[in-house]
Amino acid sequence: MRILIVEDERKIAHVLASALKAEHYDVAVAPTGEEGFSRVNAEVFELVVLDLMLPGRSGLEILQALRKRRIETPVLILTARDGVDDRVLGLDLGADDYLVKPFALPELLARVRALLRRGRAADVLRLKAADLELDVVGRRANRGDRLLELTTREFELLEYLLRHQGHLVSREMLAREVWKEPRRATPLDNVIDVQIARLRRKVDADGAARLIHTVRGVGFVLREGDP
Amino acid sequence: MRAAPSIRLRLTGWYTVVLFLMLLVYATATFLAVRHEFLEQLDDQLRDDFETAEGFLAAAPGGRIALSGDRHHDPDDDHDRGSDVWTANGDPIDRSGAAGALPPVALAAATAEPRYESLTVDAHRWRTLTGRTLAGGRSVVLRVSRSEERLRAQLSEILVVLVLGLPLVVALAGAGGYVLARRALTPIDHLATEARRITADRLHDRLSVPNPHDEIGRLAAVINDTFARLESSFDQLRRFTADASHELRTPLAVIRGIGEMELKDTRTAAEYKDAIGSMLEEVDRLTSLVDTLLRLSHGDAGTIRLSRESVDVGRLVRDMASSLALLAEERNQQLTVQGGDGVLVTADRLVLREAITNVIDNAIKYSPKASDILVRVRQQSGRAIVEVVDHGPGIAPEHRERIFDRFFRVDEARTRESGGTGLGLAIAKWAVHVNGGAISVEDAPAGGSVFRIVLPMATSPVPHQHPTQHMGEPV
Repeated sequence: MRILIVEDERKIAHVLASALKAEHYDVAVAPTGEEGFSRVNAEVFELVVLDLMLPGRSGLEILQALRKRRIETPVLILTARDGVDDRVLGLDLGADDYLVKPFALPELLARVRALLRRGRAADVLRLKAADLELDVVGRRANRGDRLLELTTREFELLEYLLRHQGHLVSREMLAREVWKEPRRATPLDNVIDVQIARLRRKVDADGAARLIHTVRGVGFVLREGDP
Repeated sequence: MRAAPSIRLRLTGWYTVVLFLMLLVYATATFLAVRHEFLEQLDDQLRDDFETAEGFLAAAPGGRIALSGDRHHDPDDDHDRGSDVWTANGDPIDRSGAAGALPPVALAAATAEPRYESLTVDAHRWRTLTGRTLAGGRSVVLRVSRSEERLRAQLSEILVVLVLGLPLVVALAGAGGYVLARRALTPIDHLATEARRITADRLHDRLSVPNPHDEIGRLAAVINDTFARLESSFDQLRRFTADASHELRTPLAVIRGIGEMELKDTRTAAEYKDAIGSMLEEVDRLTSLVDTLLRLSHGDAGTIRLSRESVDVGRLVRDMASSLALLAEERNQQLTVQGGDGVLVTADRLVLREAITNVIDNAIKYSPKASDILVRVRQQSGRAIVEVVDHGPGIAPEHRERIFDRFFRVDEARTRESGGTGLGLAIAKWAVHVNGGAISVEDAPAGGSVFRIVLPMATSPVPHQHPTQHMGEPV
């Protein structure tokens, strides 16, 4: 799947490209708005990651021009400005999602996955990792033969980790998706850490192989083997 | 644009104009009163003359009427006054003094009641009194007259004195007023000079107040008060800048230190991972710090947009408490929420959430392990009140003012250890304020502190008491 990154900051563009390549995407980078615009016109991409603050033509102008030409490639905008106006304007002009810099890479990767998955009915109702099984409809979780007694929050947390298994999940993502907190706050980070610790005690108990890992400074990942 | 004249000049100008108008009115009134008095006196004299002349009229032998005796006490006045007597038919009987200059009287106009009349003959003004009277049984017409010229001359003199004196007096008063105005305004010039001396570097200086009870003293007091507030906000800003740079530089120093250290020698992959993770933790801290500071400064600048809606404070508090109960549980604390649903306020839900989260989190952090934390929601006289009662060490009175300041920490070491940014309560205060409420702290009766958030209520909802609910198990 081809992704175009339109970003003038060389380092950020490099990091984005490396991260996406590591996820086996086919990545192209355009350092200016003009080049980005002409490439989207000439080639086929499944997704455009578009910085708003570009020299010359701004990201918003490019987005507008693309949508005017009925090019409906999904666009994920990046902005350093935390202003609501920018965000709303971007979404109004036809962006599909946005991220505020500095963003966490796991977050970006999750958004990219979500945008590329879009339109496909992919709601899995039974989730599995090693001998951990989750029945989303029956609200039951098993580790091997052992039935896990989970609170509502713990269940939702485990479901989220399982849906993103193998991928890093940041505290910010958990705050927003599981706790439904639109804004990140220090108290909630502590709550998340405590909740993860408790969930891990239940899931990875009794000498079972560790599934829930903490990646220092980044977040958590559910995966078999080492993080 | 022309600069306005100084207050001193304007004051003097107004003072002079007002004084001039007042003196003008006064002089006019005086002149008119004197003139009236003079004319009245002249008429009185004429009446005296008339009566005197009547007394001198007598029947002379041969059926004639004549003025007898010398009625002029002062012959020098003869050119100034006179008298005429006519018979009823108009035949002159007697004419004396200056009367010769006057025309004969119109007989028809002469009535029994004497009448005053002003005459001008050859530019000479006369005042006359004419009437019929009886002399020796016969009707005669008597007219006495006096010249008005002397009186007019006197009046002219008075007028000249008044007209010439007025501008002189006004000019003198103006000059005096100017001097007085300068003396009265000198203290203000002093104040200005002193105030100019007090710059940002010397904000602790104050204006001298010689007499605190006069106008200048009050002005100086007001200015001093403003300086005091300016000084305190400067102090706050200075402290904030120092604190902020410290807080922002610490993570940067850590990141740099780790990076430099790890690059010095070759290490194992696990060690590198650990180092990078540690750096990322600091980046996280820095990010959340910058986010919070930006939000606070948006709030300061008033550029924050709130989406106000009707919020059930009771439910909001319960939601937040159930999220945070996990943290309380880790410390074996009992977090209890008391109070009713249906306490509605109009507020930005997200912003208000932050206030409540931070205050409850603060209570959990600073209360000893295994203590109780009580959150009460109630309504009182149209206001919604959220109280968080903890059993922590309490807050010393000298810290109460500053506890909501950005980066203020009662115990520097402890807060850092528990991962606080030092902005939680500042955010809470900000969040309550933008929603039109107030936040305060006081000692709890049983030790510890009570943080109180007071918000104006949206409407008057149906009172509904919710049973006490324990937050034992996280939901």
